[in-house]
Amino acid sequence: MHYKVATRRHSFIVLAFQVAFLTSCLGAIAAENDSFDGKVAPLLSQSCLSCHNADEQKGGLDLSSREAAMRGGDSGPAISASDPEQSLLWERIQSEEMPPEHPLDETEKTILKSWINAGAVWGTDPIDAFAFSNDRRAGRDWWSLQSLGRPVLPASASPDTQPIDAFVQAKLAEKNLAPSPAASSDSLLRRASYGIRGLPPSADELASVRSGEETYEELIRRWLNSPQYGEHWARHWLDVARYGESDGFEYDRMRPNAWRYRDWVINAFNDDMPYLRFARLQIAGDVLEPDNPSAITATGFLVCGAYDGLKPQVDLMRQIMRQDVLEDFVGTVGQTFLGLTINCARCHDHKFDPITQREYYQMTAAFAGVNHGERDIPAQPDKVKKLNQEIESRREKLRELEAPVREQLSARKSDSLGPNPIAAWDFTESNQDLIGQLHAEPQEPTKRIELGVKLNGNSTWLATPALPETITTKTLEAWVALSNLDQRGGAAISLQTLDGVKFDAIVFGEREARRWMSGSNGFVRTSSFSGEAETESGDTLVHVVITYAADGTITCYRNGQLYGNPYKASHLENFAAGNAQVIFGLRHGPTSPDRLLAGTLKTARIYDRVLTAEEVASSASNQPFISIQKIVEQLSPQQQKLHTELKQELDQLLGQQANLKGGKVYAANGRNPGVTHLLGRGSPLQKRDAVPAGGIAAVQGLSADFKVEPNASDEERRRQMADWIASENNPLFARVIVNRIWHHHFGRGLVATPNDFGFNGGQASHPQILDWLAAELIAQDWSLKELHYQILCSDTYRQSSVFNKEAHAVDANNQWLWRFSPRRLTAEEIRDSVLQAAGFLNRQVGGPPFQDVRPYLHRGAQFYEAIDPEGPEFSRRSIYRMWARGGRNPLLDAFDCPDPSATAPQRAMTTTPIQALTMLNSPFMMRMADEFSARISERHTELGEQVEQAYRDTFVRPPTSEEKARARAFAQEHSLSALCRVLLNSNEFLHLD
Amino acid sequence: MSRQQSQNKVPQQAELDRREWFEWARAGLGGAALASLLIKDGIAQPSKSNAVPSQASDPPPHQPPKAKRVIHLCLCGGFSHIDTFDYKPELVKRHGSSLGGDQRPDVFFGKVGLLRKNDWEFKQRGESGLWVSELFPHLAEVADELTVIRSMVANSSSHTPATFQENSGFRANGFPVMGAWMSYGLGCETDDLPAYVVLPDARGFPAGGTTNWTNGFLPAQHQGVVFRANGTPIDNLTPSRPIQAKSDKASLEFLRDLNRQHLAARGESDLLASRIKSYQLAAKMQQAVPRVADFSQESESTLTDYGLEREETRDFGRNCLLARRLLENDVRFVQVFSGGAFGSPRINWDGHEDMIRNHNREAVRIDQPVAALIRDLRHRGMLDDTLVLFTSEFGRTPFTQSASDQVGKGRDHNQTGFSVWMAGAGLKPGIAFGATDEVGWKAAENPVSWYDFHATVLHLLGIDHTRLTYYHNGIQRRLTDVHGQVVKPILA
Repeated sequence: MHYKVATRRHSFIVLAFQVAFLTSCLGAIAAENDSFDGKVAPLLSQSCLSCHNADEQKGGLDLSSREAAMRGGDSGPAISASDPEQSLLWERIQSEEMPPEHPLDETEKTILKSWINAGAVWGTDPIDAFAFSNDRRAGRDWWSLQSLGRPVLPASASPDTQPIDAFVQAKLAEKNLAPSPAASSDSLLRRASYGIRGLPPSADELASVRSGEETYEELIRRWLNSPQYGEHWARHWLDVARYGESDGFEYDRMRPNAWRYRDWVINAFNDDMPYLRFARLQIAGDVLEPDNPSAITATGFLVCGAYDGLKPQVDLMRQIMRQDVLEDFVGTVGQTFLGLTINCARCHDHKFDPITQREYYQMTAAFAGVNHGERDIPAQPDKVKKLNQEIESRREKLRELEAPVREQLSARKSDSLGPNPIAAWDFTESNQDLIGQLHAEPQEPTKRIELGVKLNGNSTWLATPALPETITTKTLEAWVALSNLDQRGGAAISLQTLDGVKFDAIVFGEREARRWMSGSNGFVRTSSFSGEAETESGDTLVHVVITYAADGTITCYRNGQLYGNPYKASHLENFAAGNAQVIFGLRHGPTSPDRLLAGTLKTARIYDRVLTAEEVASSASNQPFISIQKIVEQLSPQQQKLHTELKQELDQLLGQQANLKGGKVYAANGRNPGVTHLLGRGSPLQKRDAVPAGGIAAVQGLSADFKVEPNASDEERRRQMADWIASENNPLFARVIVNRIWHHHFGRGLVATPNDFGFNGGQASHPQILDWLAAELIAQDWSLKELHYQILCSDTYRQSSVFNKEAHAVDANNQWLWRFSPRRLTAEEIRDSVLQAAGFLNRQVGGPPFQDVRPYLHRGAQFYEAIDPEGPEFSRRSIYRMWARGGRNPLLDAFDCPDPSATAPQRAMTTTPIQALTMLNSPFMMRMADEFSARISERHTELGEQVEQAYRDTFVRPPTSEEKARARAFAQEHSLSALCRVLLNSNEFLHLD
Repeated sequence: MSRQQSQNKVPQQAELDRREWFEWARAGLGGAALASLLIKDGIAQPSKSNAVPSQASDPPPHQPPKAKRVIHLCLCGGFSHIDTFDYKPELVKRHGSSLGGDQRPDVFFGKVGLLRKNDWEFKQRGESGLWVSELFPHLAEVADELTVIRSMVANSSSHTPATFQENSGFRANGFPVMGAWMSYGLGCETDDLPAYVVLPDARGFPAGGTTNWTNGFLPAQHQGVVFRANGTPIDNLTPSRPIQAKSDKASLEFLRDLNRQHLAARGESDLLASRIKSYQLAAKMQQAVPRVADFSQESESTLTDYGLEREETRDFGRNCLLARRLLENDVRFVQVFSGGAFGSPRINWDGHEDMIRNHNREAVRIDQPVAALIRDLRHRGMLDDTLVLFTSEFGRTPFTQSASDQVGKGRDHNQTGFSVWMAGAGLKPGIAFGATDEVGWKAAENPVSWYDFHATVLHLLGIDHTRLTYYHNGIQRRLTDVHGQVVKPILA
């Protein structure tokens, strides 16, 4: 509402300026025409043409062209030249019958009357309704459509003031406001850390700036170069891209390869891909660089919205559905890159912005060749090889760094069994389960030798009683020495149903000679790992691990290294309590020689979760598992820093691995686009003339005419579209992205509606900053990291958020930036920070998503039931969850995570009792509070220290002595976990100053 | 800490009552923020003290409301109008002949068989003489309460887009549904319970899952909250693992103190103050939800009336009774689903293969409970200001889905003409409005679109459908898009 007023005033000023300008420039001869185009036409188009135009002709009257206007309507001629009193038009206006409800004011009436008096001389014919902005709509003179220029700094600015600050301060002075003092170092860093990475700063990071070891600017740079930056900003982008991983609509089918586009966005941000290229590839990557898998993946942008795959027989319905898809493309592209709601012109010219219906169809023509679906992307073996070398070198360096500490620690607790198996057997000693009651019984007499239990390959095997607990996700682990390499089909360890019908097993040489595989009933969950042929036999033990993830992914490790490639089976098999058992030596029952293993089994373990690569590696080196965190704690500060850097590099490299292996991606599939026609009222039944691909003419600075034929190829059309949108001459392109970045840092854009720079969106609060930063962005080769840096280093950003009553009274919404606006964390920031505080955040970058929903097919349709699965693979950052449209995460949902069906440039920030219930009581939050306290108790034995640690891990500060006393008393009485639950629910944890 | 508390006069009780909270807030917050907070929290509302106010920029009522609350019985799959509420004697005569005429029906599965007469006998019912078939014998007994629209037209013949349109006005994913718009536009008479509650069919969710009760681009609190018939009614109402009540209470007190101290150090903040409040509201909800879901105070005869003692009516009867209790406790909009996902075997009204089997099975589940609900609402005086909606996304074809020379057993989707009914506040009861052609294929008289239907529902609630808007990506969005006319002839 605020904005409407501003808009109106502004456009009147513009209008007045235009009129004055035209009058002064043109000679007397043109004066009469000019008075029509400059005064009368805008008035007619603003007040009359919405009903009396060539299409609608209410009362038979069309005032848009000279001939029609003179002809009049159902009541007779409207205008009698030079005689207002005889003109119906004037009669209706004077009596205020027209325009209905909004009569003209006296000045406007005078304009019309004198025009008729002067002979009703017409100017541009028909009237160009889009020429000028007025108080109902934007014209071609609308501010955001004008070419970019670098604005002049305010005269008051001192030379060493940052331009952002100069403009903000000038505006504040104009409003009699003053900026707030600088924020404290700690709260500024917490703010910036969330702003850049979506995660809190570490205590060390705060300390390093406080002590002067590192400057704020240096730390900002460091954070911008961390992989968490790309993860955080990709989430912002995916909101705008309406990114989802299922179709939506009736079937809501999964898109198992949609995540590659998500990774592409993360990598693009992390690589600081120039924004120009970033946009071009998303619009037309597949036609611009058809041999580049990454460019193909980028077009996932176009098709990551909802899609109705259920096609009715009805032809008309099918045509309408296709038009809906094209509207989705044009709407998303227009809003994302240009802040234009072009989709509003599908059935008629845009009601508020200078976009014709014909231009809408020009835009659809550009995307008419684009279709939803999966497509192949080729593998890149050279790059894979190089990448693997780089990965290995980082791993080696990490091992070197960790080795001394690891040895030290493992010496200390050598009796540990490592990462908590649910059952473990050491066959060198006995067949007893060292954890529970799953003691193995030999089914034939067996021999125990120094190495373990001997399996003869003809008859011997062992079996446990039925499982006491159901096993779903799992890890099977065995140390085994093979008697010979040519045996086929025996298993080291197998989890089978009691009747032997279903099983998952570590099998040797069954389908492929000398190779390990994951055996399963009827091979339903079996694929080749394509691992190396086994070379060890005799007395040499080999360590084999197979993990089974909830999404069906099966991964094999040999001697602690990844064995071949993981693959995704159709499903994860459940082994129910009371109905399944563990067997050794036999693939599955009943006994048969081709299912028996010849060799010696030393030890075996089974876990009810998926071990990470580190855990497997640790287990393989036969050391008790020691968490990386424990090791890092023992390193020197320099070593810790180096470790963090190496780990980040490694995570990033690992993230790229999945993308280089080839496979499928859900992206644009280009086909022959055919010829696009304008559709009257948007209806396929009203096909009008053929329309070639083209842009929006009102956008100044470049031509919207693509000079292509209506039957041009998909490639030609989209290439032209990419050129027109992603151009430094397209003023909207840079303005819109600058505003998005500003919006996320300050909680409010310079333009408050990031997807709409048209009339309904409104004005920029600080147009000079928008243009100045846009010019900078172009000058810095479209580097978004530089843009962030400039914003984050401004005094405006570094202001305190402290409340100021006087300023609040003048500007409650803080649009003039007299302080930094405090905010609540976003949904993902909350979940990720909780995981982080609890010490559970798995920082693995990229790769297939984890599923916090249980997908199931029910009568042909796909459903997703929200679950709370445990384990490291589910403790990744929220951006890595599978974003099924029908399967949302209740915690994220409650905190305003948007429906991934429509582009969401800004998020609501609500406060509801459902949020409180979720934070207090949900299984995830309760579990995290428990894990959080367990982790703290492991590190500190004294309750006071535990309380301090809990405060540091949530608020990134120690408690005051009073706080500590109360918290300690509370934890004493109600448990440390209860304290953790309170801290995770607190406003200090959930809000930023 | 205690020093700071006493400075701010923080009450020490676990539960702040309204007055105390008000006083504390006045002491702790500045005037402007206080006013906005109070309005947001409904304290300044003239109606009920704990009401949640409208969030609309142009808040209703725009005209005097007739209805205060809505219950929407949403039948998935498309029930057959010509077998229920739209009697077509001509169809009986022409049974076994082809549709004729020059328009070839363009149906979903493309198979146009011969015309099939209604499978259930029609009778005129009650004083009004409204036609209702034998498929709904119980419902027929309350025919005098119904306002049938027999000329509905939808824009899609595909279930899910059509269902989205039925509920949100749009065929696409991601637009707010009726219940969400009501919550946004009217708020709620209570802050103990959500404004919009969803009761899915016990056999499963409708296709599209939670998208069917989405808030779309409206703020998250307007999303439908699912109540389960069994177990804990809503998620996270109680801790996921047992906690001693004493500990839980102490935790909330400790949290409140932490938060107040945090707020006191920051002067004034709506954001922080309203989150403190949200934990108090959560505590109220923890009390209210189990209370409303507890049927132990209902009489034996009520339970019998709703069919809770019979296997086939128990599920839907339970949901109807729960719906009434929710409405009694000031929930704004309750949506009860009859039917789940599509596919085979059917668990909804999608009678492609065998109408008799399908509709008999579905109707028996809901007939008695719906009739009991109407009677119960009338008996309690609630029908005067409650609106009952009974709809499905489209109807079914008068010809069968079979070879062109056969009378098959099933009927295909028909979006070109079908029936729905409303009952209660502000309506002319016992009438049928509009008409389909003589065989019941297309709306022929006074066609009513979903936009019109929604405009009428909003009108009855005191809302001008053109004025209930929300800005989203360039458009002031409405439930009725850019269409919709109130169906005036059905209004009392």
